[in-house]
This record gives sequence, structure tokens and C-alpha cells, in this order.
Amino acid sequence: MVDAAALSVIGPDGDAGGHECGLSDDQLLHCYRAMLRTRVFDEICMKLQRSGRVGFSVPNLGIEGMQVGAASALEKTDWVFPSYRDFGMALYHGVTPLRMMHNMFGNGLDSAKGRQMSVHFSFEEPIHFFSISSPIGTHIPQAVGAARAFQARGEDHVCLASFGDGGTSSLGFHSGLNFAGVWKAPVVFLCQNNGWAISCPSSGQTASESFAIKAAAYGMPGVKVDGNDLLAVREVVGEAVGRARAGEGPTLVEAVTFRMGGHSSSDDPTRYVPAEELEAWGERDPIDRFEKYLAQRGLWSEGDEEHVREDALAEIDAAAKEAGAQAPPGLETIFSDVYETLPDHLRAQGEAVFDLSRRKGEAAAGGGEFPL
Amino acid sequence: MAIEFKLPDVGEGVAEGEVVQWLVGAGDAVEEHQSVVEVMTDKATVEIPSPATGVITALHAEAGDVVEVGGVLFTLETADAPAVAGAASSTETAAQAAGGTGSGAVLTPTPPPKPVGAKALATPSARRVARELDIELSEVAGTGRNGVIRRCDVEAAHGAGGASTVGAHASTMDVPTGAGGETRVPFRGVRRKISEAMVRSRDSAVHFTVVEEVDVTELVALRERAKAVGAEQGVKVTYMPFIMKAVAKALERFPQLNGRLDEQAGEIVRCHYVNLGIATDTDTGLLVPVIEGVERKGVLALAGELAQLAQSARTGRISPERLKGSTFSITNAGNIGGIHATPIINHPDIAILGVHRIMKRPGVVEGPEGDRIEVRQYMNFSTSVDHRLADGADGVRFLVALKELLECPGLLAL
Repeated sequence: MVDAAALSVIGPDGDAGGHECGLSDDQLLHCYRAMLRTRVFDEICMKLQRSGRVGFSVPNLGIEGMQVGAASALEKTDWVFPSYRDFGMALYHGVTPLRMMHNMFGNGLDSAKGRQMSVHFSFEEPIHFFSISSPIGTHIPQAVGAARAFQARGEDHVCLASFGDGGTSSLGFHSGLNFAGVWKAPVVFLCQNNGWAISCPSSGQTASESFAIKAAAYGMPGVKVDGNDLLAVREVVGEAVGRARAGEGPTLVEAVTFRMGGHSSSDDPTRYVPAEELEAWGERDPIDRFEKYLAQRGLWSEGDEEHVREDALAEIDAAAKEAGAQAPPGLETIFSDVYETLPDHLRAQGEAVFDLSRRKGEAAAGGGEFPL
Repeated sequence: MAIEFKLPDVGEGVAEGEVVQWLVGAGDAVEEHQSVVEVMTDKATVEIPSPATGVITALHAEAGDVVEVGGVLFTLETADAPAVAGAASSTETAAQAAGGTGSGAVLTPTPPPKPVGAKALATPSARRVARELDIELSEVAGTGRNGVIRRCDVEAAHGAGGASTVGAHASTMDVPTGAGGETRVPFRGVRRKISEAMVRSRDSAVHFTVVEEVDVTELVALRERAKAVGAEQGVKVTYMPFIMKAVAKALERFPQLNGRLDEQAGEIVRCHYVNLGIATDTDTGLLVPVIEGVERKGVLALAGELAQLAQSARTGRISPERLKGSTFSITNAGNIGGIHATPIINHPDIAILGVHRIMKRPGVVEGPEGDRIEVRQYMNFSTSVDHRLADGADGVRFLVALKELLECPGLLAL
């Protein structure tokens, strides 16, 4: 359960006690829609995976508030170095479900040209959403490196590196936080303590009394926040972003939340997540809580959720159909984007392959099997 | 148009899935994303949704059937062309089979669904034994690769009284079924996994069993005192943790019984730690969760872990990780009954210990004034050892060492 040391803004009844979040009514509703759209996108991706239409998916049920709250604290010129659950941050900033679906299907319009796994998004605009890494924590030093580069160039962009509680056990966590501290790099580390690293509980991850406390060793502030409270996350991440932009260095934020679904489409959490914990955290659902807050402000009424859901379902289902009907990336993409001038041996291989495909035709799409 | 829906790889690298139950029937209308069937794979039990809105025209597997990834699960008739990459239409499949697209060489061919009434997959010896025993092969569950029926499956079906066989031939053989009738229990899920594990053990290990009688009068007294100490700390102390300590200590002297056979490497692995598999009777059947590092743990710590294990077993929450990595196993029938048994080795362990109930009997006690008769408490232990990996003498010496430790449990402190 969330401990008292984690900052909360919205109470269980939706009362935020006059907290000033700096968002207009329209922006608050945009946050609400972004959370629900994230949830629906997740649900549809799992259905697509289970019916064999995409190869892999990563549930993010229960952490939508953390994602959208953090994303709302960033400018479009900032850079997100996400973990594989963070697509809510992209949706918040205006990436369309269709562009995301192109990645899910790995088709010819996918920004990574089918070279990444499903759910491993990358976007250059409207926000810089760095290509998601499957290896744990490798993107942490990359975020620090980018931040150091902005610092050297005198640009005031901020990097947000997001990872799980398991990510803090990676080598990248240590080297990243260490040098971010040394250089006072403009980076915010967002540790989503969602209770589990696949089946390893967060109690099996560290002997420290919290994840936030690790910040002290790297000479930066560490803050713990209620990860199911959109406004609290926005507040804490916003302050950290402000410090980073002002040249005051990095911050480690621990957002305490709970992964309500499996680790991935290959996982069966019912084998290890206690049902009572799921039930207790279900009571703290970030979307329900935000609904109560909006209702208190007169911005939400019964039936609104259904409307947003229906719109999202229609839009995302249509996006899935459109992306699923797209052709795979062209054969020539096997040889592109690595060398500016293709070396002779690769050129020869390419010509042989193209010649073969001209004579025999390209392979049709598979029959639903994913030979991973 | 008709979509033949093939079982996708719902995990990363899953090869097959067992149909647990159908959530719709043939002829039912379904919507896109509506759950159609529950499938259990090695990794998880998942609900498979329909890829499109339409009518399910045929189910190609029954509950309990194992379907390979790529095998057809159901046929769906849709009003329009599917925007579905994963599901091939029947016509495409036919064209590909005929080599019409010219891409057959690149695609992995999918085995056609098993038609009803097809010849069952079985080894030649299984066919011969089935003929001899007059057993219908289609009634036998195969435990071999891809569900191939092996000779042992046929024998098991026969040996088990042939519950299914009797049913299949009841009318022709006129076997009286009795006034009470009979119940058919699907042979799948945990039951089938247990069956596979048992057959694997029996097919590989050469079992020999030795039984020893142990005077546990002192152990009974010690345990009474430990029980009181444990109660203060809220730990229920049974005999099992003492037996586990004694086993770990005896295995120090006989490391040839502690480990496993690595068949692929062609090596016998001797472990310098003792992880004990504890055969546990649960509602769903026999499970063998593992308690690690027994040689390092005290009796109270072990008692605590056992209590936790019993709790997990009751609530059905033993994680698969806990079922792996035993170096030796113990099966306890003592609280049920029986005086000795022939325990089946927990594959790929080398040996197993069976623990039986304590009985009060008159016994001869040697004293300074000569022999006398006393009421003593006795417990039997049965050890099965894989004779391929250790010799008979090793098994007997191990059991004698265990007897010494348990007759004088103070030795456990040495």
C-alpha cells in the first residue's frame, strides 16, 4: 500500500483541498481522456495479441495516472526515454493511435520500419519519444547522455528517464544516476515502483527503505509520490523538471503504484500476485480517482466515461484495422539506414535478393504463427 | 467468408496449448474481441478472442485436446473480408497448399487439423499391445511428443482397469457396470501433468526400494519439547523438519544420492547443497514444492517454511518456480497410513525417501542389567534409489545413517 511518505494531492473522495495544478478545465479533460484512451489502447492490443494479429503486448492497467501526470509536466521540446509501459505519455502528447498501431503490426508505415518489437514505440514528434529498449535500464545512461549534450549546447531541454523498480537493480541505473549527479545534467529519473519486476516483488529488489532514498548516494533529491494520483505526480515531476531546466540538476522520483495486469502478454500474474493486493489496489484506480476530482469541479458526470470509451474504441479499432491491412516494410529496408554508402558485399547481397523477389514474388504474410 | 482461426503463439515461444473450455458453441454469433475459448499453455491460461464479428461454424478441438501453435481451433464465417493478418482464409490456404503463390518454400507449412475418425498417432509397439489387449487407441491419451500414444500409455489404460476401455466396449462385451453406474473424469490439466511426470520417472529410473525400521522414541520426546518452543514463536513443529535435517546430514556422507542426472550432458550432477522436494497432497493433486538450502537451516526455520508451503498448497498458490530444482525428495504418507511403500523418484532426482506413520510396539531395549521389554515408538522409512546412478549398498548405507541420526536426534546438533 502507498505509505504516508508518498505525496498525495487527490483524496479518495476526489477532494484536492484547493490544490493549484496550473491546468485549465480543457487540459484536465484532456488528461482524463488520455488516461482512458491509454487503457482502451492497452485492452485492444491484448485482444490483438491473443487472437494472433500482433506478436506481443505489454499491459499497463493501473499506471495510466502516473504516465499522464508525468507527461503533462513536460514541454513538447523535451525528451522522453520511456520504459515499455509508457505509451500513455505519447498518447497524451498527441501521437495518434494509428501511428502506434503501425508499430504494433510492424508494417511499412511503422516509424521503426518493423525492426522493433511490438509496443516498442519511437516518435520524433510531437514529442521526442526515444525508441523503447527491452533490456532493462539501458536507456537510463542514454537519457543522461542526451541531457549532458543539451547542457553542452546551451539548450534548455529536459530528459525524462522512466523505468520500473526492477530497473534500479541494473548497471545503467548506477552509471546513469552517478554521472547525472556529477554533471548536474537536466534529467528527471522516474522510478515507477509498481510492485513487481515480472514475478519478483519489489521487496526482493532492494534492502534500502525506499527507492527514492537511493538519490542521496548520487547527490540529488529523491521524492516519493503516490503514483495513482495524477496531480501529485504532475506536481512532483513538474518541480523536478523546473529544477532541471533551471540548471539545478537531476531528481529521482519514486512513483508508488501497482501493476494490475501481467508483465507482458507472455506472463500469467495470477500465479504470483496475491488476489487481496489486486483488490486493495483496485480501490485506488487512478482513473476512478480523477473522475471524482473532476466531478467535484463540475467537469464530469455519470456517462462521460462511456462516451470517451466508445469514441476511443471506435478510433483504436479502426486504427488496428487500417494498420493491419498495410503492407510490411519493403525488402529494400533490410539494407537501408545503417551505412550512408552501402558496402559492396551488402550491395551484392541486396541485388541477389531483389532479383530473386522479382522472379519469384515476395513471401505472403504468415498464417498467424509468430516464430519468436 | 470463412476464416480458419489458428492457435497463435500467445507467449514468446509457446509450442502448443490445451483447450480448457469453449466459451461459445458451433453456430453461435460472436463479436470481434469476444472471448471464444480458454487455452492453457506452459506459461499461462489465456482467453482467445474472436478476430472478427461473425458466426462460429465449427470447433476443431474438444476440451482437453492439445493443439499445436498454427493448428486450426475454429472456423468463423464473416460477412466481409477480414482485416486480419493472422487468420488466413480457406481459399488462401488451399492456394498455398497447391503452391499457387510460389512462396511455399518460405512459409512454414501448417499441419492440417486432425480430422474426426483419423488414425490415432501411436508407436508400433503401442499398436501391437493395444491389439493384444483389445484397447481402442482413440480412447487412450498419448503422453509422447505431440500426443503420440506410447506403449506405456496403452498399458496404463489397461492397468487402470481401463475405465475408458470398459465404457467403450460395454455393449459388445456385456460387462455389468453395476447399479451405481460410473463417472468419467477428464484426464487433463494437473492430473495429466502428474501422469507425465510419473511415466517419465518410471521409464528412465531403475527403481529399487529398501525399507528400514527406526526406533523414534527419543525423537518423539524431543519433538514434544520443540513443539512447545515453536508454539511460543507461533510455529507449528511437526516431525518433518527433523527428518529433513537428518536427510541433509546423511546426504553429506552419501553425496552420490544428492543431485540429478543431466542426460544431455551425459553427467551425474552431485549438489553441494540440499534442496528437498516435499511431496504435497493438494486439492488439485500431487505437487512437489522445493525447500532450498536445507543444510543451512534450523529445525524451526524449516518448520516455518513447511507451514507456509501447506498454506500455499491449500490456496492453490504454489508458484511454478517453487516446483523446480530439488536434489532429493521426501514423500510423507505417515499421517494417512500404510507401513511401507515403493516411492517413485521425483525425476530427475537420484533418490527419494518415504516416511510412514509412528506405531507404539513392545521393543527390546539393551541396558546394563541386560535386555528388557519396553513400550517403544517405531517409524518405517522407505528409500527408492535410481540403480543406474547409485548402487544398492549406497541406498542401504544412507538409510542406516539416517536411522542412527533419528534414533539419537542429539547427533543432529553435531
